[in-house]
Amino acid sequence: MDVWVQIFASGLTLGAMYAVSAIGLALVYGSLNMLNMSHGALMALGGYICFYAMTQLGLPALVGVAAAMVICGAVGLAIYLAAAQPMLRSVNFETQIFIATIGIGAILENVILRTFGPQPQPQSLNLTGAQIIGNVHIPNQNILILVVAIGLMVGLSLLLQRSRLGRAIRATAQNREAAQLMGVRVGVVYAQVLALSGGLAAISGIMVSSLSGLLPNMGGDPMLKAFIICVVAGLGNVYGTVGTAIVLGLLEAGAQYVLGVRYSFALLLLLVIVVLIWRPYGLFGRRQVVRL
Amino acid sequence: MTTLSGIKRDLLIGSVLTTLAIALPFLTGTRYVVTQTTLFFIWAIVVTQWNLVLGIGGIFSLAQMALFAVGAYATAMLGYYFHMPMVPAMLLAALATVLVSVLIGLACLRLRGPYVALLTLAVAQVLFLLITNDTDCFSNPESGCMPLFGGVRGFTRFGDLGFRAILKSKFYIGHYYVGLFLLVLATAFAIAIIRGPAGLAFQALRDNPGYAVSRGISKFKYQLWLFGLSAFFTGLAGAFYAVNFAAVGPIVFSISVLLFLLSMIVVGGIGTVWGPLLGAALLMLVDEAMREAGDWRDIGLGLILAGFVVLLPRGLAGLRLPSFRDRSFRR
Repeated sequence: MDVWVQIFASGLTLGAMYAVSAIGLALVYGSLNMLNMSHGALMALGGYICFYAMTQLGLPALVGVAAAMVICGAVGLAIYLAAAQPMLRSVNFETQIFIATIGIGAILENVILRTFGPQPQPQSLNLTGAQIIGNVHIPNQNILILVVAIGLMVGLSLLLQRSRLGRAIRATAQNREAAQLMGVRVGVVYAQVLALSGGLAAISGIMVSSLSGLLPNMGGDPMLKAFIICVVAGLGNVYGTVGTAIVLGLLEAGAQYVLGVRYSFALLLLLVIVVLIWRPYGLFGRRQVVRL
Repeated sequence: MTTLSGIKRDLLIGSVLTTLAIALPFLTGTRYVVTQTTLFFIWAIVVTQWNLVLGIGGIFSLAQMALFAVGAYATAMLGYYFHMPMVPAMLLAALATVLVSVLIGLACLRLRGPYVALLTLAVAQVLFLLITNDTDCFSNPESGCMPLFGGVRGFTRFGDLGFRAILKSKFYIGHYYVGLFLLVLATAFAIAIIRGPAGLAFQALRDNPGYAVSRGISKFKYQLWLFGLSAFFTGLAGAFYAVNFAAVGPIVFSISVLLFLLSMIVVGGIGTVWGPLLGAALLMLVDEAMREAGDWRDIGLGLILAGFVVLLPRGLAGLRLPSFRDRSFRR
């Protein structure tokens, strides 16, 4: 019994962590049809900036997090202006932006490598201690991650449902042309979405690195998992993404316990393939009618 | 020039290039040039097949390096565990690659573009993790514990093509011609696909999908065929890579190699006949120039990749004068 509570607790943390990075990807895909392959590098960048601000500059944790969010948001904006905006109108936008962001991700990752070196570093924003409930041991850091993630999701949901910006994002995602005709400045919405996604990447980078340590290429696997979550949920579906992230986090924690860490990713992938054969547009994705 | 039909022009360019390549070892005595050109042949094979998948079939596969690795690992393992001679091992490995690619294709090809890219990338990453995280000893040679798939170390000493015995210290020239032979075959296959019925089918599916489908052209079927067949040469290239370097390790999965090869296609021109070869040659030269730069290499590659996609999405092959442009591949 205790084992399962433990698995539930760590699965929930994993899921919450995945959700934060997957939402960023889902938002960007939902509004621009852009798969941002530099998201992983942005996560690493956020983790390193927080680390640098706290250890080298001696700033408090909140300032470090804010700095990471602002800088990663700015980089996201720069990616929009430099790569996405010039080819928004091209026919193969989806393929081209995918390739371009692979290149941008490689640049960012190697800039991080040159600046901070290849040695793994511990993330300085890391709570010590743990809550012990019965025989179950839950680190405070995991609780912090869960609380922050829930807070972020509530905030994001309010932003999407209640604010002017959120309405503009949803309108653009539903129908770009109609939104444009209604006077939504689509270009501005895109820029805001990418900046927002950069900020979310920073937070999820800090979360991931607080558990596994900082490495220039640490973003690769979490990004791939976040993408898998988006695909299972149906690309671009924000709420479905959160639910899927939690479920897959729980499943991964369970698989790690039952089969060992080695096979958890493989099992995840197998599951995803089965789901996609059953529902090619994802669990919550609507079947698209393609006009020929 | 414009009066030449596509296939004749391809044959002309192909025979000129092949003649030049055959002459190269006689013109230069430098071993480095010959071995680097052999490496170019290997990458060029992968790139021509990847270009078929990506540019002609419209399958956004990122599993090409994983397929290459399947070919390389299968060759090494057949040699290492079963002491099989290398030529049949390479052929078997190429067939194994076809089998793996059909399995991947069956799982991925029902999906739309970006989904395919993500799933194939995930498949490659899972293979990489399964190989490198494997620490259980499958056998215990004198050199130490050996996992089934070689683990982080990979395989060495699994056999060679026998050129070392015949040509002594000049054995690399034998490898050079094997590489050239494979590249000529792979290019001929690519041209046959592009100019043949499959190429027409994909062009029809691109130009008017509704009409093409109603005339009985199944996108899934053609994509699966193309994905499976092109995997043969990709796997063969991997097998030759293993034999040429007499070593295979998880390095073939690295993002850096993937980036390098993808850049070749993008720089040369996605979906053109000769673009990927041009891109491969150019990037090998640029890479040579950046060798001194060390860490800057990947930054440079990233810049080239992103820069070309944004500024010149049709690649260098798209730069030709309008009258030379091959009509059948205007997208």
